[in-house]
Amino acid sequence: MTLQLQHVTKKYKDFTAVDNLNFTIEKGEIFGLIGQNGAGKTTTFRMILDLQETTAGTISWNGKPVNSINRDVLGYLPEERGIFPTMKVEEQLYFFGELRGMKKAELKKDIDFWISRFDLEEKRKDKAETLSKGNQQKVQLIASFIHKPQFLILDEPFSGLDPVNKDLLKDAILLLKEQGTTILFSSHQMDNVEELCDHLCLLKRGVSLFSGSLLDLKKQYGKTKLSVRTDYSTTELLQLEGVKDVRVEKEQTVLMLEDEHYAESIFQKLSAGKYIEKFSLDYLTLDEIFKDKVGGSVVEV
Amino acid sequence: MTLLYVLAMSVAIFWSDIKELFTGNHEAQQIAIVNETTADLSAIFVSNNDMVFIQDETNLEKLEQKVKDGELDAIVEVSDQNGQLHAEIATFKPLKLNDQSTISSLLQYAGQHYAVQKLSLSSEQAAQIMAAQTIISNKNLNEESAGGKSEEEKQSGLWVSYAVGILIYFFISTFLSMITTEIASEKGSRAMEMLLVSVKPATHFKAKIAGVLLLAMTQMAIIAAVFLLYAKFAKDGVVWDMAASIVKELSLGYVLYAILFLLLTIILYLIVGALFGSLVSKVEEAGQVLMPAMMITLIGFYVMLSGIGNPDTIFIKVFSYIPFTSGMVMPMRIGATDIGIIEPLLSLGILVGTIIVAYLFSLSFYKRSVLTYSTGGVIQKFKTVLKVTT
Repeated sequence: MTLQLQHVTKKYKDFTAVDNLNFTIEKGEIFGLIGQNGAGKTTTFRMILDLQETTAGTISWNGKPVNSINRDVLGYLPEERGIFPTMKVEEQLYFFGELRGMKKAELKKDIDFWISRFDLEEKRKDKAETLSKGNQQKVQLIASFIHKPQFLILDEPFSGLDPVNKDLLKDAILLLKEQGTTILFSSHQMDNVEELCDHLCLLKRGVSLFSGSLLDLKKQYGKTKLSVRTDYSTTELLQLEGVKDVRVEKEQTVLMLEDEHYAESIFQKLSAGKYIEKFSLDYLTLDEIFKDKVGGSVVEV
Repeated sequence: MTLLYVLAMSVAIFWSDIKELFTGNHEAQQIAIVNETTADLSAIFVSNNDMVFIQDETNLEKLEQKVKDGELDAIVEVSDQNGQLHAEIATFKPLKLNDQSTISSLLQYAGQHYAVQKLSLSSEQAAQIMAAQTIISNKNLNEESAGGKSEEEKQSGLWVSYAVGILIYFFISTFLSMITTEIASEKGSRAMEMLLVSVKPATHFKAKIAGVLLLAMTQMAIIAAVFLLYAKFAKDGVVWDMAASIVKELSLGYVLYAILFLLLTIILYLIVGALFGSLVSKVEEAGQVLMPAMMITLIGFYVMLSGIGNPDTIFIKVFSYIPFTSGMVMPMRIGATDIGIIEPLLSLGILVGTIIVAYLFSLSFYKRSVLTYSTGGVIQKFKTVLKVTT
């Protein structure tokens, strides 16, 4: 059970939204699609969902083109929040479930489960428009997977949620994964992507900059981020061999190395055989890699 | 909405009762007749609920005082002037328009009556003159076609067509705006994307049209049922007899055509409404895209209205073939003019053809427009959709 995109391209009259995109998502995997505004994420989702046609390339699910499969295997949470404003929370969930051909009786157990899991018990009979933004989003999220899709697409599921609800959502995503759901999601909060994703694809203006496992991406850069607490000044640190860049933060100084093997010599120099409070060599965070790859300070996605 | 229609119909049928409720203390007008001629006019001025006539009064001064005191509402003084009947209506407070016109027509009649009496004819002769009416019959010299319609047939055809036209107009504007705002609100609340993942856009499009059409038909059925019920049982079936006499003047063919035109026109407007609804980004913009369609219905409506004066103009003929207005105009032509079999069928054919073309076009366009959010007028929106989806 895999989703495969091969040479997928979407061209409009005067610009290319998605250019020769390739990736494969294995069953039960969480896959992250990352990119700035206009990078082509939503277009890619819409093409997978057959809401837009591809200009070239193929998208297949289990070897069959997506436009020929039964839509009920798919679930989708759009980026723009939208539910029926005057419908009650519970009715809304039944409606979307029944739209996917499920019976009321089958749905009841799941709806009860998710409503209590997302702390919506008291809002059950409320109209959607009276709910807070975060609660509306939770309702919409439940609606997107209440029919137990095999493949779930979440477009910016974390935006607008407070930390408590974010954790609820994260747990829910992991639970769905355990149940065998394949999940594709986009987010501009890299910590979420880092925590959840097994594989990811970095998009920049429709072009894929990287596609593969998170670890592979990190290995591309190596362990080149060195955090230390030291008395050395910035100028002195910059003169050390293999140091590309120095950034002074509140509690520490971060050195960017050309390669991880310089770390050892730097350690000897800084400690000079004595006790050192902090010396930590790490992979770059996804956030840093993203900024480096996309090449801008703007990470608003 | 249906309730509103039913309510309106109830009000129309029970209007006289309701009117009484509002003007509960309605008193009959007290009117004194002073007859200075030798003729007997008492048979003409007969008292009823609205007016009480006090005959053969003589003391004018006393009467005038009574009018001033409000005991009487008016004095009608009838006298002879050069062999003609002359009437003077004296009031303190002006009479109501209704009463004024009743008295005028009674006086007209009395004038004729008086003139006849002066000629000292026998009562039979007098009756003959008073009841004189030209009997007109039509003879058709064209042996190939059935006879033309009589004037009565045309008259009732005209009025029924007028009623049907108004009905079509109301139904179109109601359901047109219903389907447009329905789709626009789903699009505006962004529930559309959630829906379109579950069902194909084409299915959504067809479902919306079928849904609103069924709603329209249910509503019409309810209204028809309530009307029949009222007609049959309220006021001892007066309305029923009235309707029956009008329908009798019309043919079954007319009724079938009217229903066909009504349904097809609604379908056409639903397709257009759905298409326009899919162009809108917010439900607030629904009115803006509805405007052109509403204008067309209005044009059709006014053309139909102009037909009440004369349903045989070239203007009416042209509009009876245009698919968006034919539903309102063609039934009038069928009902109120001598029209062959070809014309209505041709108009119906054009309408069906337009529906098919509009349906196929909308079906393919809907898929592209329903998820495209754009600004500007209708034409601008069309352009944007074409630009971003090709």
